[in-house]
Amino acid sequence: MKNLKACKNCHLLTDNDVCPRCSLPTSKRWSGYVIIRDPDHSQIAKKMNITTPGSYALKVR
Amino acid sequence: MVNEDSHQPSSNESTEELSKIFTIKTQVGKEQNTADLINSRATKSKIEIPAILVTPELRGYIFVEGFDEERIKNMIKTVSYVRSMLNGDIPIEQIEHFLTPASAVAKIAEGDIVEMVAGPFRGETAKVTHIDDAKEEITVELFESLVPIPITVRGEQVRIIKRKDEDSEKKE
Repeated sequence: MKNLKACKNCHLLTDNDVCPRCSLPTSKRWSGYVIIRDPDHSQIAKKMNITTPGSYALKVR
Repeated sequence: MVNEDSHQPSSNESTEELSKIFTIKTQVGKEQNTADLINSRATKSKIEIPAILVTPELRGYIFVEGFDEERIKNMIKTVSYVRSMLNGDIPIEQIEHFLTPASAVAKIAEGDIVEMVAGPFRGETAKVTHIDDAKEEITVELFESLVPIPITVRGEQVRIIKRKDEDSEKKE
């Protein structure tokens, strides 16, 4: 499995050391995994205030 | 093939069809892999799955948000690590608490007596001397050690066995 890192701000999972959306540093210490495919029709995305498709972490430290 | 139009509300309906949340049993430890496999399979077979959720608290299960229970059931039959899909859907309220996980040190206070549940000191009891909320770490002093050495561990690595308040209440 790839060593994904999570953005401390938007929780987006990425391979990079910097979040491609927020330009903030990412962290290796994360847990929980959510794949948002269609944020417009997803109740989970609405609860998490996610508007862009992608993979996200539930918790980032 | 699912036509997107099929999910459009009819002229009499004013509300959009709400997605349902289904529970899938997976091989323990393979929850994230299963989510990735279901994600790519859903793209290939063009099944509407708006979201997939893997929570660390619930091992061996993942949640899949979708519309057509039968189609999802058929699709996952050939996905590796999938055991089965539970019948029926669950309301979003039941999984809401997973989406906003509380801090691991939220319930721990300085002076509490804890038991180490992981790491090299597993099974030992200790007293909490400091809490780092940002890092979700706590510093403890082991009772068994002859010299009190502060040890910093992650919040998830301990279990509270006695609260400081309980002690003070008894004294009163």
